[in-house]
Amino acid sequence: MSLAKLFSVSSRVRATGASSLVLRHAQYSTPSDGGKTEMVYPPNLPGYKYVNAEDPNMSMKEMSNRAAQTLFWTELARGFAVTLAHIFKEPATINYPFEKGPLSPRFRGEHALRRYPSGEERCIACKLCEAICPAQAITIEAEERKDGSRRTTRYDIDMTKCIYCGFCQEACPVDAIVEGPNFEFSTETHEELLYNKEKLLSNGDKWESEIATNIRADHLYR
Amino acid sequence: MSLAKFLALDKLANFFTIIRQNGGIRGSLYKLYRQDELKDGKLVGEDKYGNKYYENPRFFYGRNRWVEYSDKVNMNYDGSQVPAEWFGWLHYKTDLPPHQDPSRPKYKWMADFTENLSGTTGQYVPYSTTRPKVEPWDPKSKSA
Repeated sequence: MSLAKLFSVSSRVRATGASSLVLRHAQYSTPSDGGKTEMVYPPNLPGYKYVNAEDPNMSMKEMSNRAAQTLFWTELARGFAVTLAHIFKEPATINYPFEKGPLSPRFRGEHALRRYPSGEERCIACKLCEAICPAQAITIEAEERKDGSRRTTRYDIDMTKCIYCGFCQEACPVDAIVEGPNFEFSTETHEELLYNKEKLLSNGDKWESEIATNIRADHLYR
Repeated sequence: MSLAKFLALDKLANFFTIIRQNGGIRGSLYKLYRQDELKDGKLVGEDKYGNKYYENPRFFYGRNRWVEYSDKVNMNYDGSQVPAEWFGWLHYKTDLPPHQDPSRPKYKWMADFTENLSGTTGQYVPYSTTRPKVEPWDPKSKSA
């Protein structure tokens, strides 16, 4: 089998190309090439129009072009190889519940009411947070406690109203209300997000280790 | 570039290290099923709930620290099971794991950590912490 036959598979593909069209016309005008004398099958006659597929050009340049075309079917294989390589590559995403993204000490997440190291609750019911809250999510009621100190009896935050702006913790004169680092407090019902004082205090008791560390990490900038 | 590296033999070595560290073929398949991923790393610490914390700087920042949730929870692991002490380390806020960080406060009133209990019987249900300002009239109490 001749080399020309071997590469003739790709001739159909090339027949549609614009460059081959130009070449075809060139071939008509100069039927002999490189000194070879061949029988010119599409007869070069005036008024004669050959409409069928032509034999492929057998010049060395054209043949090597077709050979390259065929050989570059390896492009497919190389494309698959890229896909395969990406399977083994390190992914650019993080595997969330096991790996977590970086977080700032200033992150404003779930609210918490803090206590003094003695265990006494910090909030003195000054209601500055209630006043500054742009979403009016905080409700506070206060009474005198038995020992004569001013404390809240009601400290409700509607977490569905809250816009997590952090104004409450900035307004607080005693660092009582803080937005803790926790963001994994999604619930199945709306009512679970209507936090009362007990819930906020228990958040503070649970998260104090991280809240105190965050405040210390950021104390130079406050 | 050494020949071993050129032939990607270091990757092969990594592969076998990962399989060995995750408890052989069976253990690796279980971890792959549970965590979608197999990694090798240095055990940094373990919290009192049984979650194990690992680190391997070979992976890029954001993937180089991870937690393997306690075997007790089986497939019911959740992001909120990481306790507050380890939260900062896992979120790259600090390089000090809690047992090496003396400045972390430990007060006796600090509460045990609980995961997000929404949807369970332990979930938070809101209630009023004050007496109602308007109390309904109860006619029976007057006669009694």
